[in-house]
Amino acid sequence: MTVVEPVETYEYFTEDVPNAKLETKKLDFFYGKNKALYGIDIGFKRNAVTALMGPSGCGKSTLLRALNRIYALYPGQHAEGEILLDGENILDRNQDLGALRAKVGMVFQQPTPFPMSIYDNVAFGVRLYEKLSKADLDNRVEESLRRSALWTEVKDKLQTSGLGLSGGQQQRLCVARGVAVRPEVLLLDEPASALDPISTAKLEETIVELKADITIVIVTHNLQQAARVSDNAAFMYLGRLIEFAKTDRLFDNPKARRTADYITGRFG
Amino acid sequence: MVALAGIVTLLLVAVLVISALVAILGNLLRARKLANLGFTVFCIGGATLAIVALAAILASLLANGFSGINLAVFTQDTPAPGSQGGLRNAILGSIAMCFAGMLIAVVVGILAGTWLAEYAGRTKWTSAYGSVVRFINDVLLSAPSILVGLFIYTVLVARGVPLLSFISLGHFSGIAGAISLALLAVPVVTRTTEDVLRLQSRQLRESGVALGAPLWVTIRSILWKAASGGMITGALLAFARISGETAPLLFTALNNQFNGLNWNPADAFGLNGPTANIPVVIFNYALSAYDDWRRLAWVGALLIAAAVLGINILVRVLSAEPKRS
Repeated sequence: MTVVEPVETYEYFTEDVPNAKLETKKLDFFYGKNKALYGIDIGFKRNAVTALMGPSGCGKSTLLRALNRIYALYPGQHAEGEILLDGENILDRNQDLGALRAKVGMVFQQPTPFPMSIYDNVAFGVRLYEKLSKADLDNRVEESLRRSALWTEVKDKLQTSGLGLSGGQQQRLCVARGVAVRPEVLLLDEPASALDPISTAKLEETIVELKADITIVIVTHNLQQAARVSDNAAFMYLGRLIEFAKTDRLFDNPKARRTADYITGRFG
Repeated sequence: MVALAGIVTLLLVAVLVISALVAILGNLLRARKLANLGFTVFCIGGATLAIVALAAILASLLANGFSGINLAVFTQDTPAPGSQGGLRNAILGSIAMCFAGMLIAVVVGILAGTWLAEYAGRTKWTSAYGSVVRFINDVLLSAPSILVGLFIYTVLVARGVPLLSFISLGHFSGIAGAISLALLAVPVVTRTTEDVLRLQSRQLRESGVALGAPLWVTIRSILWKAASGGMITGALLAFARISGETAPLLFTALNNQFNGLNWNPADAFGLNGPTANIPVVIFNYALSAYDDWRRLAWVGALLIAAAVLGINILVRVLSAEPKRS
């Protein structure tokens, strides 16, 4: 496969993350013959929140979708390079995708509650990989709903349909569902973009609490959100990683011109 | 009935003439309101015609069939001319063959529809094969049912296909009837299954997979559930369609004066021999010279119409938007 690299050179500034939970090395990504990511090197800090920012089409969602290989559902898509989870390359041909996705959970832009009760929504993933007693499963469901700050709102109607919840509650249900399988990494793809401000604030609190034992990667269009929740932040443009640094540094003192333009809203 | 048909025709002509006149008048006067009125009248007239026709059918069924309904219809078998009898064997036979046919059709149709929606597009070859399957399925969807009956007759009843004669049963049977009904229902179930699965959001599919579930588990426990309303609707519509089919049964199940059904699986529940069914009984009795047979034919027609109406109402109820709690 021959892909013509754009001639335009670009400046980029990244930082190493020692002992990263998850990192990519020279990651290229292809939609059929179209190259969408160019040599991404980025480390996701253990038990911290990393935000991926950038304009539409910059590749941030593509990068996120490579991290749990959800793209493998679509035969035309493939990744080259390395993605290391605790040092092991998950792009390996022999990687068990089910086991990988149980470790690397994902929450999507639109809330996607399953057409079943709230309880079964949360228990769904757990039942796939663990045989728990009724009492243990009950505890796991409660713990997950508490962690996603939904417990007090739904504890009296666990057996009602998850589809009956409001949008914000549905999204937190999806977070609870992802947390219930005790993942090591959680990928969030613009999780708040369909939510009202109050639901967004609750979700952000949840994210900050979850990082105690989960490594979180969040794609967001919302700069304030990235500034609020993330420890590290990356700015991407046209499939390239332009700047990656501690969030404070990136926002206070961006080194790349493109990052500065984007942060100050002068992008155009 | 003739008078009613005359009235309906007159009504149609009147509506057409009036609306045409109004439309022309509207044009001449450049009065858009008049043209609009004309079009509205035309639409209302069309809708009325459809309802009048349906009401006329239901009314004549009720008028001729309702008086014949009594306990004997459900407890006695089809009689010899001039003697007492009912439709028990035909009702049971129809129910048995429709259920057996739907059992086959639902399994085959749901699997085929699921494959077309979820798996066919994954590679170039399966995608091409999927297009062929989809096309043939669409053709089958509108295939004349008498062709399906003749096909099953040739293959399963008459030993008409040289190399396949070993699968032929060699005689008329309820099994052949059920299979021909299944053949009519499969395309409906396949099509609706594929359509409603395609309506499910990509993210719903992905969120099941993202939890570590294999794709087939995601399809089975999440997508089928999310699409169940549409899939049940499709199955019920297919059921409604086959429950009144006569042509495929004439060549396959034929008819039976007695109730041959039983609860013995080893005997194929009695479907191994010619099996009575309402459509063929109607066909035979309606053309007969005996008043009591013709009365029973009306009763059978009323029963089928009531069943189809009931199924359609059920579909309406099931496919209604679920209310938020």
